[in-house]
Amino acid sequence: MTPSRIRTLVFVLIFIGGLIIGFFGLRTLRAFREFGGHRPPPAPSAPDAERGQVEIDVNLIREWMTVPFISKTYHVPANVLFDALGIPANKNRGKSLKRLNKEYFPQVEGFVLEKIKAAVLAALANQPQQMQENPQSTVVPVMPTLGP
Amino acid sequence: MFEWLLTQIINYGIPILGAIVLLGAIGIPFPGTIIVIAVGAFCRQGFLSWPLTGLIALTCVVLGDCLSYAMGFYAREPVLRRFSDSDKWIQAENAFQRWGGMSILLTRFLITGLAVPVNLIAGTGNFPFRRFLLYDLAGETIWIFGYGGLGYLFGPQWEAVGTFLSNISGLLLGLLLLGVGIWLGLQRLRLMTATEESG
Repeated sequence: MTPSRIRTLVFVLIFIGGLIIGFFGLRTLRAFREFGGHRPPPAPSAPDAERGQVEIDVNLIREWMTVPFISKTYHVPANVLFDALGIPANKNRGKSLKRLNKEYFPQVEGFVLEKIKAAVLAALANQPQQMQENPQSTVVPVMPTLGP
Repeated sequence: MFEWLLTQIINYGIPILGAIVLLGAIGIPFPGTIIVIAVGAFCRQGFLSWPLTGLIALTCVVLGDCLSYAMGFYAREPVLRRFSDSDKWIQAENAFQRWGGMSILLTRFLITGLAVPVNLIAGTGNFPFRRFLLYDLAGETIWIFGYGGLGYLFGPQWEAVGTFLSNISGLLLGLLLLGVGIWLGLQRLRLMTATEESG
């Protein structure tokens, strides 16, 4: 390789490397800061005194989750959540929120997710000892009129 | 696909996880690392037992790696018939015999995208199976318990861990490029100084 080509290669590598470092460095910093905003609940093996704490950040609920999974994570009975959706628990326990939305409320995208968040928040509000931190608020959706 | 896999894991647990990591190890493109992080979080939340989950996931992924090693091993004859005369093939085989252990170890948890090609090369290149298994087991233990441990540590925040790790990978790539650039620049500078001194 000629000296001028090596010089060009060095500049290109340093320039692109610097750009990538800047881009991913900022993203890494932002991702790292996200950790500080939330303290996870104690592990099942944690001392008894801490076991009263449960997850309260409803913004961590995702559409791939099932109702029993959310029920166990947030310590809210599954039947309360199914009642909030107005659908039977039978046959629906293994379905994700996304699938429930598709089957029962296809006309409103994300309805099941928002309804579940609201139901969890309402249930947690009735358990004041677990609300040591402020729960994340969510918009309570309007119930659609249709459904199979 | 990824979200569907997560739903199946929380519904059916360890058998699905075992199948995912085994199929991933023989080349099916599943997002294995992020799933391992998520499973670590599920263990923390009490949905899965971490010692059993870790043990079965480790067994399945090592089994998958052995299968892809075997694919390379049994494809050795046709591959050799075609390439054995080439100098590059011999060089590559020698290099793998020398550096293969480290390649196997690092591709288990750091450059996971290259794990399957490395398994195939190890099998084709007749890399000793016992050594392969030793490095594979060490690397996969780091992968399962290291990444799973991060998920366990951060619990429901595992998604942020995944984002953080993918950004760290980008950062490492940038550092690598910068490092190579600086190294090449310094080499060039030394060469120029040496030429000036001798001239």
